[in-house]
Amino acid sequence: MSTPAPPHYTSVPPWTREPVVESPDATGTAFTVLAVGTGSDATGAAAIVDAWLPTLPVGAPVQVHTSEDVAGAIAAMRTDLAGARVGHRVLVAGSATDCLAVRAAALGSSLMDSELTVGVTSVATRAVWCVHCSATTIAEAGLEDVVTCPSCRKDLVVYPHVSRRTGAHLGFQVDAETLPAGVTA
Amino acid sequence: MSAERIALVVTGLTALTPSIREVVLAPIDGGSLPSYAPGSHLVLDVPVGDGRERALANAYSLTGETVEPTEYRISVLRCDPADGAAGGSAWVHTLAVGDKVEALPPRNLFAPVRHATKHLLVGAGIGITPLLSHLRSHVRWDADVELLHVCREGEGAHVDEVVALTGGAATVVHDRATFAALLAERVRDQPLGTHLYTCGPTGFMDLVHLEAAAAGWPAERVHAEAFGAADLDPGAPFTVGVAGEEIEVPSGVSLLEALEEAGHEVPNLCRQGVCGECRVPVASGSTPVLHRDLYLTDEDKAANDCLMACVSRALPTDDRPAHLEVTL
Ligand code: FES
Repeated sequence: MSTPAPPHYTSVPPWTREPVVESPDATGTAFTVLAVGTGSDATGAAAIVDAWLPTLPVGAPVQVHTSEDVAGAIAAMRTDLAGARVGHRVLVAGSATDCLAVRAAALGSSLMDSELTVGVTSVATRAVWCVHCSATTIAEAGLEDVVTCPSCRKDLVVYPHVSRRTGAHLGFQVDAETLPAGVTA
Repeated sequence: MSAERIALVVTGLTALTPSIREVVLAPIDGGSLPSYAPGSHLVLDVPVGDGRERALANAYSLTGETVEPTEYRISVLRCDPADGAAGGSAWVHTLAVGDKVEALPPRNLFAPVRHATKHLLVGAGIGITPLLSHLRSHVRWDADVELLHVCREGEGAHVDEVVALTGGAATVVHDRATFAALLAERVRDQPLGTHLYTCGPTGFMDLVHLEAAAAGWPAERVHAEAFGAADLDPGAPFTVGVAGEEIEVPSGVSLLEALEEAGHEVPNLCRQGVCGECRVPVASGSTPVLHRDLYLTDEDKAANDCLMACVSRALPTDDRPAHLEVTL
């Protein structure tokens, strides 16, 4: 698939199209650093974190958490943020899908976008939320590709919209608008 | 100017301090007034007269009830025309009960961020006024709030009210050094998710921004209600070309005023470089713009292709006098 890069004002962050590694914001006063993933994502995330750490301000408290799965990373982050003060920053390295999931949880913990730094190791997969049955699936797919919902078997188009609250893309039946009358999607 | 003006009558006047007066305004024909969000201001028409060569439009924060109010309340610090003030606040201090005034409906450039986990309000002097309406709303909605305020002893308008409203979550101090230390400490100990709101003189708000930035606050968490470019100098004269006509803009007269006097309509609201309404495109043939507003981004300013007519002016170059070509 080769969609021309849509304008930057879509809800799809550019770092889910290309594996962007952002620079940490050195104005932070405390840092939670997450490395997420397995295999090449784990290796990539570890390298990104190694490059980040020396750029953080000397003396600022830094917590590094390495997890194979994103749930573990999110749990570690929530623990750090529970008593955090304004000035705290979160840095996350991993696949775009995991970074989106961490971002959703971080926003839910009152972090702002400007307080989050991402280092993306791969953009091969996307989380897709099915509007028909509400199942979320993670699939190897690009924007506007079609994936099959494993729960309701509908063919879903991966719409270029990402939920800030869940980190998943919107997916809806690909031929929803051309179905014969009387057939509901 | 498109917005409908509201006809109001003065129904109450209270001297809160020797230099701050509270004015209560009710609709001339009774009933209720448009509701407004906390942090809104009212733009009062100040007529010509009494040394004021031009009509003024002064913005004052609303301090009272926000939902279907039957009256608007403002508190106005008298700035002395003898010290170079334009005379709008001095005029407010001459109003008597029963006087009729006109205003634009409330506008807001300083609303609370509703999803904030806590609100830190930081005010100085008369800058308490927009914070007061924030505070009322937070108390009503049971939101977490803390207030830091600095004012001169005896010049503390609304202070008792604020202290009562916060039930102790307000700290009021009377000297700058104490305040600076307090601020430095408090911005370093706010729960993640807090938003900061500040209002006061420019130098004061600069200090608040600096302290917050030093404590790691991203700009998105810090909100300021500017009083506007009230303390700007009158500026040097320049000329402006518009639709083939050349207009002089003398010192002490804004481009906006000069254009209006020449019969051109320019949308405007705050007339103090804050709201962004009076943006005028600048065409080629202009010398550089002296930007003095608080609205345009640095990038916008560098482009030199527009200016806020209410405050900004033209700069001369080595070989050309200050001149702007504008399109309306
Ligand atoms: S009138 Fe508001 S910026 Fe000029």
